[in-house]
Amino acid sequence: MKQTISLIALLAATPALAQDTRHMDAHEHGVGALYIAIDGTTVAMEFSAPGADIVGFEYAAQSEADRAAVDAAVATLATPLDLFVMPAEAGCSVTQASAALESEYEAHGDHDHDEHEHEDVHEHEDHEEHAEEAGHTEFHAQYTLTCANPQALTEIAFAYFDRFENAREVEVQILGPSGAQAFEVERDAPTLDLRSLF
Amino acid sequence: MILRLALASLFARALTVGMTILAIALSVMLFLGVEKVRTGAKASFADTISGTDLIVGARSGSVQLLLYSVFRIGNATNNVTWQSYQDIAARPEIDWIVPISLGDSHRQFRVMGTTREFFDRYKYRQGRSLAIAQGAVMDDLFDTVIGADVAATLGYRVGDPIVVAHGLASFTEHKDQPFRISGILAKTGTPVDRTVIVSLQAIEAIHVDWRSGAQIPGQSTPVDVIRQMDLTPKAVTAALIGVQSPLQTFRLQRAINEYPQEPLLAVLPGVALQELWAIVGIAETALLAVSAMVVVTALIGMMATIFSSLNERRREMAIFRAMGARPGTIFGLLVIEAMLTAAMGAVLGLALLYAGLFVAQPVLDSAFGLWLPIDAPSLREGLVLAGVVAAGALVSLVPAFRAYRLSLADGMMVKS
Repeated sequence: MKQTISLIALLAATPALAQDTRHMDAHEHGVGALYIAIDGTTVAMEFSAPGADIVGFEYAAQSEADRAAVDAAVATLATPLDLFVMPAEAGCSVTQASAALESEYEAHGDHDHDEHEHEDVHEHEDHEEHAEEAGHTEFHAQYTLTCANPQALTEIAFAYFDRFENAREVEVQILGPSGAQAFEVERDAPTLDLRSLF
Repeated sequence: MILRLALASLFARALTVGMTILAIALSVMLFLGVEKVRTGAKASFADTISGTDLIVGARSGSVQLLLYSVFRIGNATNNVTWQSYQDIAARPEIDWIVPISLGDSHRQFRVMGTTREFFDRYKYRQGRSLAIAQGAVMDDLFDTVIGADVAATLGYRVGDPIVVAHGLASFTEHKDQPFRISGILAKTGTPVDRTVIVSLQAIEAIHVDWRSGAQIPGQSTPVDVIRQMDLTPKAVTAALIGVQSPLQTFRLQRAINEYPQEPLLAVLPGVALQELWAIVGIAETALLAVSAMVVVTALIGMMATIFSSLNERRREMAIFRAMGARPGTIFGLLVIEAMLTAAMGAVLGLALLYAGLFVAQPVLDSAFGLWLPIDAPSLREGLVLAGVVAAGALVSLVPAFRAYRLSLADGMMVKS
């Protein structure tokens, strides 16, 4: 009997142990991250920025105004070519774009968000229950572009800084034909020079 | 005319001018040498790994992981369990994955456990593959492939037996397992030259009789028993990954960085190198600033010698004036002399640099794995040399102006 109980206890404890992995990503206010991968004519981009940069607060949206701000920000973040302006000669068009707000508490149960990127635009409404917790929030966006002439991607103008006043800096990592490179784009000089990439 | 005069004048004071030229030459050599080592080190690092999309290891820092796994520099990172390695290897984004297991040594050289795929996948210097100079890639459990420097330093040939020790610079050597050299790699100019490569299973085999870091006394498993054992590794140090499509690289990197069962880190080699340069850049700038100051010091030294020569040359200047030279000519003479001195210093400095490179190149290569190419001077170096000459002219303006003013009246009358 005793053995059975300990066995049950063990079984009960095991899933709890398995889930007990704590992990937090770096979170620096004012600093967003942009990942760009170029393969042929396809350009995949992932962008993330702290809630503080985008809407100015990181608690779960409570008032109507908060919610409207989040909705507007998500809508803006879903238009990548208005935020990261590419040269016209490159002939880039958006084939897929999605943006969402994530709190750090939610992020872990939601690892597979890559798979359902089209539907999560209104996901932030699920975050009401975290209203009491003083956590960080982050906006995430994913884009896929098709560029007719990717060699013409010599620079990207970060109109992003004009749209979001709290953003100071974006750390950019780019994978291009000649390997990976990292850049920092700051509000003072909001243009990314990519000539070294080709 | 004035040029010939300047040359003759310099030649007449060969000793002092020679010293000034030497000072400028040494400072120019130092400045260009620092620049050469800086760019050479950068190129050497950047050329060491190519074609690898991600490096995976235990969570540490991206620079530490890169330095330890690829350059075998710095502190060891934690190991990655074999189970996590298998999990990552099974992901759909993976095109190829090559494990690396470090921690043992042979004499002063690192022993690296890996798979045969390493020889196909590891690329250096813009996509060049490793080539076997003699022998073949390891086939047997106790086969090793050694780098060019290992073979050259220790005088090994294909077929020689080799002893692999536990830990670096350890006195307790694994004497039981007779490893054999099956192949010697061609020189690459990368840390692979200083590596003894064995299979992952061999790394396990070395440690069969070893528990908690010391050999169990009186226990020695015979080689044929080891061959029968299950030698699946329990852990690896790092893994090199090639991704199916660049578009998946960042997704795979995030998946590895958020791998819930074990804290892992995936880094893009190019980005990690850039991070390293950002750190090293400060020291580089300081070094460059110091060597630039040495050039400035040498030029100021030249200015001082010109000043002191003015007194000696009052009579000479007066004779020039008496023969009809205008004060402007005297001014020009001094500036041209200074420019000639600086130019000779610069050229001699360049010559010394190349002589130094010629001597130091093999030493630096074998001691630090740093290959400094002997190329024709770059445009940048040409600009530095031109800058030195221009700076020489600039510092000479002060004494030349003084000579100009003095020569208007002074020296015509012999005072004493």
